[in-house]
Amino acid sequence: MERTLTVVPEDGLHARPAATFVETASNFDADVTVEAVDGNRPPVAADSMLGVTGLGVRGGDDVRLVADGPEAEAALDALERILSTPEDELDEMELP
Amino acid sequence: MTERRFDGVGATPTVGVGTARWYRPVDVTALGEPPDPETVSAAAERKRFETAQDKAATELEAERERTRERVGDDEANVFDAHLQFLRDPQIEAGVDEQLDGGLPGPHAVYAAFEDPIAQFERMDGMMAERADDLRDIRDRLLRLLTDTARTDLGALADGSVILAELLTPSDTAQLDPEAVAGIATIKGGRTAHAAIIARSLGIPAVVGIGEDLNQIDDGTEVVVDGQNGVVIADPDESTRTRARESTEIPVIDEPVSTADGIEIEVAANLGTPAEAQPAVAKGADGVGLFRTEFLFQDRTAAPDETEQYEAFLSVCETFSEQIDDPRIVVRTLDVGGDKPIEYLDLDPEQNGFLGARGIRLSLDEHADLFETQLRALLRVAATDAGGGLAVMFPLVSTVEELEAALEQVDRVARSLDDENIDYAIPELGVMIETPASTYLADAFAERVEFLSIGTNDLTQYIQSAQRDLDRMSDYQDPLAPAVLRAVDRTVRAGHEGGAWVGMCGEMAGNPELTELLVGLGLDELSMSAVTVPAVKTAIRETDTERATVLAESALAVDTLADVQDLL
Repeated sequence: MERTLTVVPEDGLHARPAATFVETASNFDADVTVEAVDGNRPPVAADSMLGVTGLGVRGGDDVRLVADGPEAEAALDALERILSTPEDELDEMELP
Repeated sequence: MTERRFDGVGATPTVGVGTARWYRPVDVTALGEPPDPETVSAAAERKRFETAQDKAATELEAERERTRERVGDDEANVFDAHLQFLRDPQIEAGVDEQLDGGLPGPHAVYAAFEDPIAQFERMDGMMAERADDLRDIRDRLLRLLTDTARTDLGALADGSVILAELLTPSDTAQLDPEAVAGIATIKGGRTAHAAIIARSLGIPAVVGIGEDLNQIDDGTEVVVDGQNGVVIADPDESTRTRARESTEIPVIDEPVSTADGIEIEVAANLGTPAEAQPAVAKGADGVGLFRTEFLFQDRTAAPDETEQYEAFLSVCETFSEQIDDPRIVVRTLDVGGDKPIEYLDLDPEQNGFLGARGIRLSLDEHADLFETQLRALLRVAATDAGGGLAVMFPLVSTVEELEAALEQVDRVARSLDDENIDYAIPELGVMIETPASTYLADAFAERVEFLSIGTNDLTQYIQSAQRDLDRMSDYQDPLAPAVLRAVDRTVRAGHEGGAWVGMCGEMAGNPELTELLVGLGLDELSMSAVTVPAVKTAIRETDTERATVLAESALAVDTLADVQDLL
């Protein structure tokens, strides 16, 4: 299953939001990949900090998430919430 | 020996003097040729790598907590990113592959990081900084794998000035601000980790000096002047004296009075809440100018009421927990002029020094921002810590503007009342920085509780010479007779109207001018926290009667040179 959405944190998948994103991705029984819709890089594993920050995704960019596995849907829901939350509100978020 | 000067970028507006100590971490990347693969046990090396990974994680977690306590969440988050990189599946796979190929742990780690580092180096801007993060993590792993002792930055002799190529977040987390007299680095800019942490810890720092810094040997006496962005090796007597004066004046952590018993409030100018604690530590009685622009800069949208409420409250709390009845003067949003904000779409001409800036914007196109800010301020004023809150309007030049601002305060109060939200009306004041406002000071004083003279803008407007033009710098001296007379007029008019009068420009922080300012009748002086001890000391040495005579003489002469001769 896949989902395309727009990244809200202004710095994109960088530093703090990226760390939260990667940590969350690794907490589900699912293989999740992420790629920049307008990018020319191949999809990367969502649980790899290296891969995720290497995409160079900024706020306002569209990304495509593809998930496979028993908890694919829950993983996509959680990751979508992170990408839709401004960086300064991440603290208040309850993460799975 | 003559002194040698090295220009860089000042990262902390403080000055330090100490002994140069080069921080050159052991080069853990010099690994030598790998041994014959036949002699390497992949299983044992894998175990070795995993042990190093665990130790690295423990170190990182400890450094994260230490940084969180001393500096703040934002900088601590760097360590979260490092923890993620440390366990990155892509890097782990790379290490595995190298181990399977017969490399020992350290060589495998070095090889596995090569491509990722190169990949980030090819990217631009903020991404390129990730290459530094990866090197930091790689070197941490290599140090642990090779059992190399860590250079203990925390155990430096008192009074050391640390010289380094660059300080990583891990390096800076170890620093003891009591022992470190200053930091000077070859690389890095104002936004580098070392600079940010140095600012929070109040350590004088100059960064981005370049390879010339290598000319300074260990043991050399060094002045780190973060105010002017310069490092001076082997300072001559006068440089050393000036630097010592600004560093070694004892902090006076109580209100001070002149020799004949007139109390003068000495407050600090703050740009961010993080500067509150260092200001208390320097003995500031309160805050005379809290600039709110920081809340609006380096972001894509304006901060909401809650964020502003929390920022103002935290400054009030920091002071009121340690000082009795501190006054905290917050200036409402002052953008335009030389202070652009990306998303407010300001135009250099329309919003330049003589255009729509300061209160003009708050009463017009940015009335919404003004309202949100006032709501946050009135709510803070109702809290236990916020009793000493005061609010000041920037760049007021007509009574109509002031009345419109005061009406807005009333409207906000009424609407908070309707919503049953606790609020209080803080002390209100006007920042005196236009020629018009000096002529209207009496009218303002009848309508508000205080006036505060911003000498930087006042000088530029009185002298009709733009602040940021180098060629106009001769006009920027606040001792110019026209500026002194404007200050005098303001103080008199303010007092006649029943307002107290303070000063929050650069002039207020110059201890050589304290006697003159006391003589002019100012009730409060507000400055960079670093000069608070010197000004408090100067006030105690001042006799008001003599100071008044000095002020009268300064007002009686007609040229800048004559004023300077009197001091």
